[in-house]
Amino acid sequence: MSDLICVGAISGSFGVRGEVRLKSFCAIPEDIETYSPLSDEAGETSYSLTLTRAIKNGFAARLGGVETKEQADAARGLRLFARRDQLPSLPDDEYYHADLIGLEVFDTGGNLLGRVKSVMNHGAADLLEIHGPGLKTTVLLPFTLAIVPTVDLVQGRIVADPPDGLF
Amino acid sequence: MSRSVWKGPFVDSYVLKKAEAARESGRNEVIKIWSRRSTILPQFVGLTFGVYNGHKHIPVNVSEDMIGQKFGEYSPTRTYYGHAADKKAKRK
Repeated sequence: MSDLICVGAISGSFGVRGEVRLKSFCAIPEDIETYSPLSDEAGETSYSLTLTRAIKNGFAARLGGVETKEQADAARGLRLFARRDQLPSLPDDEYYHADLIGLEVFDTGGNLLGRVKSVMNHGAADLLEIHGPGLKTTVLLPFTLAIVPTVDLVQGRIVADPPDGLF
Repeated sequence: MSRSVWKGPFVDSYVLKKAEAARESGRNEVIKIWSRRSTILPQFVGLTFGVYNGHKHIPVNVSEDMIGQKFGEYSPTRTYYGHAADKKAKRK
């Protein structure tokens, strides 16, 4: 589990007064402002963020330290990261995708099935995409109490009881 | 134009047979189907179908609010990962 989570990216400048075009990756796009100040990938530079208006494909925003159009142009491609501890805590049985990705998945017998590659939701239940050493392709595992009875974020492991025919 | 009511919902017959067999056996298994056009019926609630998307079978846990939709709606044919960011998953 990484300490920094990518929550947005700068896609260019907006106007001539030093505003930037911002793409938000958050579940509720406006929430990116609540995680300010954000940092770069290395976590060395910190940027305060203020959304000014909604525009096509994102937001116009003011980024700390970016005052001119030239600086905004230079910031294009910059990915913005929030620290994991900035995200609000969640109720039981609710997890951030960022916390689940990378966890090891074991069956009830203790055999390693694989590792969580991504979390998906196509409208039914959430699905864990599992990539394992003995698997030709990834396997999708429904993220339900019956099929995934244990999620241990401290030890970084998930215990699953997959239905027949999945693995 | 919507489907005539007198015809009833469309379901491929093999889907009905497989669902009935799975329910009778009581085993916890994924029912693999290729029929994306079949309507989700009330008797499918609680079962897990593996709906083919042209590449693999996507597990779909049928719940009550899915009744009347088609299986294909829950098994997208294109892959898009996006960013995890602050997105949440809930165990139900």
